[in-house]
Amino acid sequence: MTLHIVNQSPYSGCALSDCLDAIAEGDALILIEDGVYAAAGQHGLPEKQTFCLTADANARGVSIANSVEGIDEARWVALCTQHNPIVSWFK
Amino acid sequence: MPQSKSILALCRHAPYGNTLAREGLEAVLACAAMDQTPEVLLINDGVFQLLQQNPEQIGEKNLHRNLQALPMFGVEILYVCRKSVEQRGLCPDDLCVPGAEITLLDDTGTFIGKFDQVLSF
Amino acid sequence: MQFTLVVYGAPHSSEGAATALRFARALLQSGHAIYRVFFYSDGVHNGSALAAPPQDEQDLLSQWQALERNHKLDLTICIAAAQRRGVLSPSEASRLEKTSGNLADGFELAGLGQLAEASAVSDRVVTFGG
Repeated sequence: MTLHIVNQSPYSGCALSDCLDAIAEGDALILIEDGVYAAAGQHGLPEKQTFCLTADANARGVSIANSVEGIDEARWVALCTQHNPIVSWFK
Repeated sequence: MPQSKSILALCRHAPYGNTLAREGLEAVLACAAMDQTPEVLLINDGVFQLLQQNPEQIGEKNLHRNLQALPMFGVEILYVCRKSVEQRGLCPDDLCVPGAEITLLDDTGTFIGKFDQVLSF
Repeated sequence: MQFTLVVYGAPHSSEGAATALRFARALLQSGHAIYRVFFYSDGVHNGSALAAPPQDEQDLLSQWQALERNHKLDLTICIAAAQRRGVLSPSEASRLEKTSGNLADGFELAGLGQLAEASAVSDRVVTFGG
């Protein structure tokens, strides 16, 4: 299954909504950089397999919703080994 | 070099506003020249690459014309996200690249998931 | 597993390059291999030796160079994207009749074929957008 990576705030562009339009059942999603602003909740995130880089959320003062799992870089690496392909959504 | 991985070029950006559309096309052509011919999916603002363009007045090279190199490099089908076309009020008949077949996709998620590598542009 | 990272972001401009560095370190710590880091689009600016960030800011260039030294990392900069943006080796600078080259130690200029080849042989390709 695919791992989607989103790095843009849901308030500044379409990267997240474009990703959600193209996400398939069983895919995983990780929010990084400004993408973590979506991790506070809402935004139609999948109920399962949605992750967020804790360091990026902490850096910005974003609290991560219960439905989103905060992870470190090592876990991100593990997700990359467990999923294929890896698709980045940016700008 | 044998083709060992299936590669998708996911083209999400309109021409001219930033360099990703042009640099994405260059990467696709380079992969094809190395016998790693990718499939190409135009999605989101990437569908705007398929409109007829007249960029001479802004001093740019015509990206739409450059897309016509794709069939010569073995990229004969251009996959296009149907929803992206409809959201932008475009008519599928407006989208063409001479020599290439345009195939509209309804389920882009399943399509993307079939590839080994996805290069996003 | 063998990874290739593709970096589109210029340093000190967008976060992509810094994120790629963090990811690269985590990959190596987890015992994975990095086949190549390919700098494309604005990412080619990562290879400029002339970046001089203030001392109290992170120095991405020296961090890439440290990774290259310690892990024999392949740091490849797309030559076409780099020429457009003014990242040149001394020999390219002289061939193009520019005053000087600025390609940092540890980086190599090469064609887009290196991205195609890396995509073909790596288990995973991860793109870091600008």
